[in-house]
Amino acid sequence: MKKYFTIFALGMMVLSTAAFAGTTATNTNTVSPTLQISATVQSAVQLTLSTGTAAVTHCAVTPTGGTPDYTMSFGTVDALGINAGNCNKFAPTTPGVSNAIYWSDYNLNPVFTSQTVSTNTITAQVTTDFAAPNNLFIVRDSANSSTVPASAAAFTAVSTATPDTIVTNAASGSTQTRFIGVAVTPANGTGVTGAKSATVTFTLTVN
Amino acid sequence: MRVLDEDLRRTHLPVVKSGGKVFGASFKRPLSSLMILAVAAITLTKPAAAQNGTMTVSAAPGGIAFTAGGGGSLSGQFGTMNALGLGTPATGVTVIPLTNGALYLTHYQINISGLPNPHQGAVSAFVNSNFTHPTALIMQSCPSSSTCNASGSFSAISLNAGAPTTVIPAPGISNQTVTVGLAVFVPDNNGAASFTGADTARITLTATDTTNNKNFATAEIRLDTPVGETVQNAVQLTLATATGGVTISPGADFAVNFGNVNGLGFGPGAGLTTVAAAGGVVYSTPYLLQPAFSAFRSTTATIKTFVSSNFAHPTILVLRDAGASGGPYNNIGTTAGTATQITNTAADRSSITRFLGLFVSNTNGATAFQGSDSATLTFTMTVP
Repeated sequence: MKKYFTIFALGMMVLSTAAFAGTTATNTNTVSPTLQISATVQSAVQLTLSTGTAAVTHCAVTPTGGTPDYTMSFGTVDALGINAGNCNKFAPTTPGVSNAIYWSDYNLNPVFTSQTVSTNTITAQVTTDFAAPNNLFIVRDSANSSTVPASAAAFTAVSTATPDTIVTNAASGSTQTRFIGVAVTPANGTGVTGAKSATVTFTLTVN
Repeated sequence: MRVLDEDLRRTHLPVVKSGGKVFGASFKRPLSSLMILAVAAITLTKPAAAQNGTMTVSAAPGGIAFTAGGGGSLSGQFGTMNALGLGTPATGVTVIPLTNGALYLTHYQINISGLPNPHQGAVSAFVNSNFTHPTALIMQSCPSSSTCNASGSFSAISLNAGAPTTVIPAPGISNQTVTVGLAVFVPDNNGAASFTGADTARITLTATDTTNNKNFATAEIRLDTPVGETVQNAVQLTLATATGGVTISPGADFAVNFGNVNGLGFGPGAGLTTVAAAGGVVYSTPYLLQPAFSAFRSTTATIKTFVSSNFAHPTILVLRDAGASGGPYNNIGTTAGTATQITNTAADRSSITRFLGLFVSNTNGATAFQGSDSATLTFTMTVP
């Protein structure tokens, strides 16, 4: 009989502490609701450009917040290398025959996350070329390095047909210095002067 | 009794009916309990005739049950209650949680009969014996002119016999039955005056012939059977969406979805902001903690949280907590023993804005993770 009474008493004690849900309770001083947090992780890539710091002078890389993403202006240029331009220049080795190069350093800042591999490339391609008669064309440092070019010979035309690889396997978040410029040919004729622009598209691929 | 003896000598006092059985008492002046029992036994089979009107109080359909009490009174109870309105109320009782307590209400019926045409009867009430813990339990009444299903229809019953609360308003009713409301308001009540346990109260109803302004009957309702009204302490902690934050939805118990996230903080979803962090980024949202508690000596509570079920990829996703949107964001403990204390001064019904951060690592390579994951935070509020 005593045993039965004990069981009954315990049963009543359990009933007297009522908990209605995880958020509420009576006849006690504590309550413990839960919060489930969900998220879906996606991989991400980012490639930003910024003004260089390696050369003697630098043409500014200016974000527009729209399209195109950035702009860089070399200022007033000529095929004889008379104008100073906005940053650096290599005068033609043979005036009237070879090209003048106006150039600047710039920085590429690749960042990528949640990628299963870290191998990557950055390419550059002229996606909108200067207008005819094409006495201007975009050039890059042939070495694809952060070493400041020493002469006009250190530059190569940026392809308009297929992307040129300019960075390979950069660490995420690392700054890559490269050099870009415009070559001015000594061509004469209609339409060789005046303001002109071209667009270079850089592509970061992590695979 | 505070009814005039002149009236009492000529009337039935009180007449009550419960569960189909009729109990009645008639006397001219205060009688001994023995006499009351004798009269009650008689009126079980034969209701007393009324010369100048009779008031019969009885249970209403769906209301609390009454039993015959001492002195011809009715006894009943609202059962166990708490200021947060938690749990299922007693049979016949409806609970309405309010912003400052809970209203436990019921309905009962008053029948006026025996009044000569065109006389009408009005009824008033006062608490003749109040709860001994009047800050924990407050008697309220709803008049016959209301539907008595909403808290706004109820008001505190007067403690003053000279200024009673209207139950059936003047000019009153002719011989008929009306339904009225009776309630116990259990206010939030923390601190030195807090109370848990049983308490009792008694209400006197007085019927008045509004034609001649004579009181013709009284009745008493006692909330004391079998043990009186019982107040329990109660705790509640809910989470809610903060203005401008991600939606906190009811789940088991609550859920929040940060949606698509990445280690660079691109494109945070609606309600999310990103905060720079070493090795990744923190997606942050404000949310609300809404503590409520009553009948405790303490006026403040402690709220802690810990990750009771972690992400499957705990190096990629980490839950963090901050008191401000800009941080600093600190990792939330992953065991009950290392729970992160959010506050130790949580006040009753005082909303707390807090910031939940989800750190997303920018890790690449073999340990990188893409896909869905989830974790669970357990919040614990303790009122000391």
